[in-house]
Amino acid sequence: MLKLYVCVACEKVIIDQDGVASLIGLFNKLSLTPPKDQEVPKNAVAPKEWAVFSAWDSEPGDELKEHIFCIQMFYPDKSQFGEVFKNKMNVELNKRSQVKTVIPGFPVGQTGSYTVRTWIEENNKMVAGPIEFKMEVEILKPAPVQN
Amino acid sequence: MTCPVCAYGKLPYPPQDYNICPCCSTEFGNDDAIYSHRQLLGMWIAGGANWFFGKAPENWNPWMQLLNAGLGTYVPKPFLDLRLHTNASVYAGAGSFAPDFEANHIKDVSIALAA
Repeated sequence: MLKLYVCVACEKVIIDQDGVASLIGLFNKLSLTPPKDQEVPKNAVAPKEWAVFSAWDSEPGDELKEHIFCIQMFYPDKSQFGEVFKNKMNVELNKRSQVKTVIPGFPVGQTGSYTVRTWIEENNKMVAGPIEFKMEVEILKPAPVQN
Repeated sequence: MTCPVCAYGKLPYPPQDYNICPCCSTEFGNDDAIYSHRQLLGMWIAGGANWFFGKAPENWNPWMQLLNAGLGTYVPKPFLDLRLHTNASVYAGAGSFAPDFEANHIKDVSIALAA
């Protein structure tokens, strides 16, 4: 059974040819400034690419199964954002498994605490997780124009 | 089948022969005989990028549909400035970071052990 080693959100993940992961710009809060007198639409998405990186320790036999890493996001009001992101994992014997899921945008339609829920599925059944972490979205007031 | 205008990925019919996309309302063979697909996309976005026919699929978001299709340049940016804050949490299953694990820009990062 896979056991969580690490799960984190960051701006970018670079995995080199030896499998070493570099996590660039870990973050747990986004702040944005809308144009003056404009509201951020409820379904707005910031076209900012980000990634969820996770690493898992495996047991012999795990490499024979097909594992899918899943990510689900919830708005502060607990409604779901978008569809569940799914990413096939490559599990090798005696090797820590890591999975990088790139998400092309971040929801910004509500201020407050967003929940990111992740888990692993095998044959459409959750076999590890869920692991949850929070991401904060703050909408700032535009600075007044100085004459 | 994917709509060549709005990138909706579950078209019930091929985008031809006067079939209509339930998402962006493009009538193929009619609307796209007059306008290019990019022009129709621009018109759909200018009109609010709303779902056209019936109830939108659960959790559907037009902007994620475009982003997932690589059409991010068409997604409106509802902000002048966007900043990411790096006071992030790292959830680790056991022990601390292994030597094969690098993290850059992680000032003020707190590390939490998973249950």
